[in-house]
Amino acid sequence: MSPTTIGIPRGMLYYRYEALWRTFFSELGANIVVSEPTTHRIAEEGMSVTIDEACLSVKVFFGHVNNLLGRCDYIFVPRISSFGRNRELCPRFTAMYDVAKNMFRNSGQKFLTCNVDVPAGDNEKKAFLSLGQALGCSAKSTIKAYKKAKKEEQRAYSDKLQKQKRLLEQDGLKILIAGHDYLVEDAYIGKPITDFLKKNGAVPLSAGIADRDAALNRSTEMSPTCKWQLNREIIGGIAMYRDKIDGIIFLSAFPCGPDAMVNELVLRRVDCLPMLNLVLDGQNGTAGTETRLESFLDIIRFKRGLL
Amino acid sequence: MTKTKEVISPKKVAFPRYAEYNAPIRYLLENGVGVKCVLPPRLTHRSLEIGAKYSPDFVCTPFKILLGNMIEAIEAGADTLVMVYGLCKLGYYGELQEQILRDLGFDFDFVNLTEYNTGKIKDLFKAAKYLNPKAKFRKVVKALLEAVKMAEYIDAVTAEYYKSCGFETEKGSYKKAFETFIADMYAANTKDEIELAYTKVKQAFAGIPTDKPVQPLRVGIVGEFYTAMDQFSNFDVELKLAEMGVEIHRWMNVSNMFIHYPGEKNLNVRVKEYCTYQMGPTSTANIRSAKEYAEQRFDGVIHIKSANCTPEIDVMPVLQNISADYKVPVLYLTYDAQTSDVGLMTRLEAFYDMISMRKKVMH
Amino acid sequence: MKQAYLGIDVGSISTKGVIIDDGNNILSSEYIWTEGAPIDAVKRLVGLLEKQFDKREYKIVSTGTTGSARKLVGAILGATMVKNEITAHAVGTTAFYPDVRTILEIGGQDSKIILVENGVAVDYAMNTLCAAGTGAFLSSQAKRLGIEIEDIGDIALRSEHPASIAARCTVFAESDLVHKIQMGYQKEDIIAGVCNAVVANYLNNVGKGKRIVSPVVFQGGVSKNRGVVAAFEKALGCKVTVDPNGHLMGAIGAAILAKNSSIRKDFDFAVEDMDFRIREAACGKCSNNCEIICVYRDGKLIDSWGNRCERGSVNIP
Repeated sequence: MSPTTIGIPRGMLYYRYEALWRTFFSELGANIVVSEPTTHRIAEEGMSVTIDEACLSVKVFFGHVNNLLGRCDYIFVPRISSFGRNRELCPRFTAMYDVAKNMFRNSGQKFLTCNVDVPAGDNEKKAFLSLGQALGCSAKSTIKAYKKAKKEEQRAYSDKLQKQKRLLEQDGLKILIAGHDYLVEDAYIGKPITDFLKKNGAVPLSAGIADRDAALNRSTEMSPTCKWQLNREIIGGIAMYRDKIDGIIFLSAFPCGPDAMVNELVLRRVDCLPMLNLVLDGQNGTAGTETRLESFLDIIRFKRGLL
Repeated sequence: MTKTKEVISPKKVAFPRYAEYNAPIRYLLENGVGVKCVLPPRLTHRSLEIGAKYSPDFVCTPFKILLGNMIEAIEAGADTLVMVYGLCKLGYYGELQEQILRDLGFDFDFVNLTEYNTGKIKDLFKAAKYLNPKAKFRKVVKALLEAVKMAEYIDAVTAEYYKSCGFETEKGSYKKAFETFIADMYAANTKDEIELAYTKVKQAFAGIPTDKPVQPLRVGIVGEFYTAMDQFSNFDVELKLAEMGVEIHRWMNVSNMFIHYPGEKNLNVRVKEYCTYQMGPTSTANIRSAKEYAEQRFDGVIHIKSANCTPEIDVMPVLQNISADYKVPVLYLTYDAQTSDVGLMTRLEAFYDMISMRKKVMH
Repeated sequence: MKQAYLGIDVGSISTKGVIIDDGNNILSSEYIWTEGAPIDAVKRLVGLLEKQFDKREYKIVSTGTTGSARKLVGAILGATMVKNEITAHAVGTTAFYPDVRTILEIGGQDSKIILVENGVAVDYAMNTLCAAGTGAFLSSQAKRLGIEIEDIGDIALRSEHPASIAARCTVFAESDLVHKIQMGYQKEDIIAGVCNAVVANYLNNVGKGKRIVSPVVFQGGVSKNRGVVAAFEKALGCKVTVDPNGHLMGAIGAAILAKNSSIRKDFDFAVEDMDFRIREAACGKCSNNCEIICVYRDGKLIDSWGNRCERGSVNIP
């Protein structure tokens, strides 16, 4: 029997769980196909298959799903709803699996999912056990794979933290990017922005890369009732880095609801740091964005007497 | 963000308008908690205009309307605003609204129930204690139960109103009885008054002569928890359609959702061919309703949401499949600050023409 | 004397009118610009229709109006049928194309899709929030490029490498267009890109989730643009029919609806010489402050609307 091939769309939570998912599935003997980094074509396809009013990140995600159709036995789309009180994810992640099934129901493609909803009693471990079961693996080998995957996840995360730490020690204007990893790290959407910053002598840092527990704790300084885990990590990161940086760029996808609200609050509450609010809608006109980034850097330099 | 702890004079408390649910909220505040309730002015275009002016662009429209109405409440003399907690973005409305109002320079006390919500009723009672230090737990609970009953009656009467008013022989009869009932609900201060008004409106409705075809056009409404229920927000789409001669059904309301909801598992079994999980706060209920309307051979379904309502956007691919499977047309309406009455009427009239012509061909 | 039926479609950009007979044959038809003055346009239109119309043989016994100014024009003309443009288009098109399954329509500010089964509309959608990808968008882009709107189609067809233009929103599209011009793209490639953008935007917004089945008929002002027609055919992979009278379908539909209803009222061409005035009054009875529209014929109030509630209703003497 040939091994099962699992397709993983390179979008949304992939950026958070890459190490965990890859290790887990390959430990269980599955083949893994990850869609290629976002291209203009993938983004366009995403826009044409997804409901027009959905946010850019969701459109890009479904572009990746579309890209994987027919190339694997299963496409993996987890349902991750909540890690606990005030640790929810945007409803988008709660609905994602069912939305995918409804959007692509005529394609014949099979989907694989697992459910993380801690308040409802479904934690991550349970979710992964059910995944192993769905793939026909024994509980024992599933647990073993999960443990190994968790270790890999830890290692990959500390690598990220180390890398960020080294960046903090570099010369140049330190610009903290406050945005979801799936936006900031996306090759088509966020990367041109970080590349541009680097080219112009700035050091882009990511607010979302910070010790997660500490960031969660400190997020309440910025917004006590914020209920979204991913936003809390980012604003907690702002609280942790704010003394070490020269400016903040809020990066969000059009029209991301949680970002619209949380960023608005933080913009109103943080002072004494230059801030830029960039909303990306995935259209291929980067000229306007570059102008805004350039003038943002100029303003900071001007204030510092560096211009 | 500082709150004065000692309460000397009774507070003048306001909660922004939400359909007709301000009646039970007022009842609870005045007869349970024991504070004076200031009813903010009814929602008008101005509420939305000033709300939109001070809100971030892509926040959902109810946030803007509620913010605008909070400003109107302060103008009307309220010194304390109450904001509820809830699922989805609603749970975060309060903190941002308070910040925006403070930045605008308004002076008020703010009770954000999200801050009190720990899942324990005891902690929520602390909010009542904050509003009135002399509040008695038993009295609050008693008034709460009566207010819930009132909400149930309001929902039942509203449903009956939209279901039947399109077929009255004398135009406006239902509306008149309905409005009298709603006014009674806002004035009621005892359980008996609530019951009496309910009995009265039932009798009034029963006495209205109607002329209803054997097989009237039937349209089911599904959608977002605020916009689908609030007459101002949705431009009273239900009345507009009903007046063309349509029987309107809407399951979604506060009492069905919170009291009569049969529970997720149960519902999921009924819609399992469309979704495995609860997709959002009200998604399963909406999918279930749409499917039931389709199964009962309704002539159409209307999906109502405000712009940028994430969970309802996610429901749309499912509704598209239900529409294809049962051959039932679904009209999708998105409301934002630019929505106009004229544009809405064009869509509604066309929808009505379409379903009535279809029905003629099918019979 | 034979019976005839008048149908008038007043849109934001153009005003169309037809007179048909019992067999839906067109006895006279006319198409003029609205120029922001629907009343004047309609009076002019009626005059032009009268010239083509044989009054000795026919008599107009009912009148239908449609389009965004349907109510106003209906009041002026004493219409027996006032219908929204979606229904009018569906009725008009199915009268000429009984087999049609999909009607695409892009007008000045609205775009819509109507799905038809067995000659009856079964589903439709209209653009939700934004006007990108409508006729107004096309003509503003044409102006920016300094070419006549009528020439867009032919120029677009000359393009071999259409530029990719952001289409989701007019503002984004314009800045992208300017950017492409600065980068030295060929005019025809930009124009073809704009045509593709109109189609992509239409399919992503209005057409999303709708199964587009052939035969497809495309109408509305933009259907005169061959570049957009070609872009549709490429995107849908099927033939897209454009009727030479496509721009008249709304008016024809209104005339047919007037014919099919039982209400009869002879039409009087004298309206061209009457004086119509509209007055807008702010209601002021609550903070909705509704704009109430009052229509006067030769100084006498004949109709009013615009009030959200009874407080703003005006008594018609």
